Amino acid sequence: MSEIRALIVDDSSVMRKIVERSLRQAGLDPLVVNEAGNGNEGLEVLKSKDVDLILSDINMPTMDGLEFLRQIRAQNLAPGVPVVMITTESSEEHVKQAILAGAQGYIRKPFTSEQVKERVLPLLHAV
Amino acid sequence: MAVSLRSSLHLVSDPRNLDASVEEVFQMMLGVTCQRHLEPVTVEGESVTSVVGFCGLLTGACIFRAGRSVAMDMAAHMTGMEFDTVDDIVKDAIGEICNILAGAWKGKVPELAANCGLSVPAVITGRDYHLHVLSPEFRLVHTYRFEDSFFAVTIVCDGLQ
Repeated sequence: MSEIRALIVDDSSVMRKIVERSLRQAGLDPLVVNEAGNGNEGLEVLKSKDVDLILSDINMPTMDGLEFLRQIRAQNLAPGVPVVMITTESSEEHVKQAILAGAQGYIRKPFTSEQVKERVLPLLHAV
Repeated sequence: MAVSLRSSLHLVSDPRNLDASVEEVFQMMLGVTCQRHLEPVTVEGESVTSVVGFCGLLTGACIFRAGRSVAMDMAAHMTGMEFDTVDDIVKDAIGEICNILAGAWKGKVPELAANCGLSVPAVITGRDYHLHVLSPEFRLVHTYRFEDSFFAVTIVCDGLQ
């Protein structure tokens, strides 16, 4: 697989590391990771760097993951780049909101690297 | 029609949901088996506590409390790093465990999953402190065994619509 550039957005630095490790265990290697602690920081990264994949938490301070998604689309940042939400919110309503906002995938915490592989790899192959 | 949790109180307060959530989170996020421990345990003087608030149809909190060394062990399992002090990474790890636990617990009851939000975690460190909630609707306080150590998880509900 060619190099994958991922943006991981989560207010927990520990979760960002766990998501990165899960991506590597899923076979995404070589992998270049950009990190952001909330939606605002994520937008700033997207304005200056190209990425192939975005993974974002929903509950974050400053700008949550759903607003981050809406802003990506509103500002036409990262067109065509798949977005996967990784979050503790598991209701159908939250999934629907995420899909409506533009997410292509949804992973509920807690998760395994196998689940990350199942949800993320098909999206990358589809691009 | 307005959604109410009153008729689902027996499901919301079912202690098995908490045990299942803790076991699931520790197995998936730390790769360890973790089970409820029913015997009394001695807790280290210095501890790390994380609190995640619930709002919406249910108000209250999920409270995770572990001794200093247990907290560092958990953070080590999550990150692959070693710790000799409760630094920001350890606090972040304990906050995230509590956050995921709170989400997993509320996810066991569909009405709760859809109508109850979570706050970002607050983490408290220190020794000899107590958390008090006056007149809760219900409270679950469970101790769990993590390898050779113990930690406690409390679900406290102070309002239910």
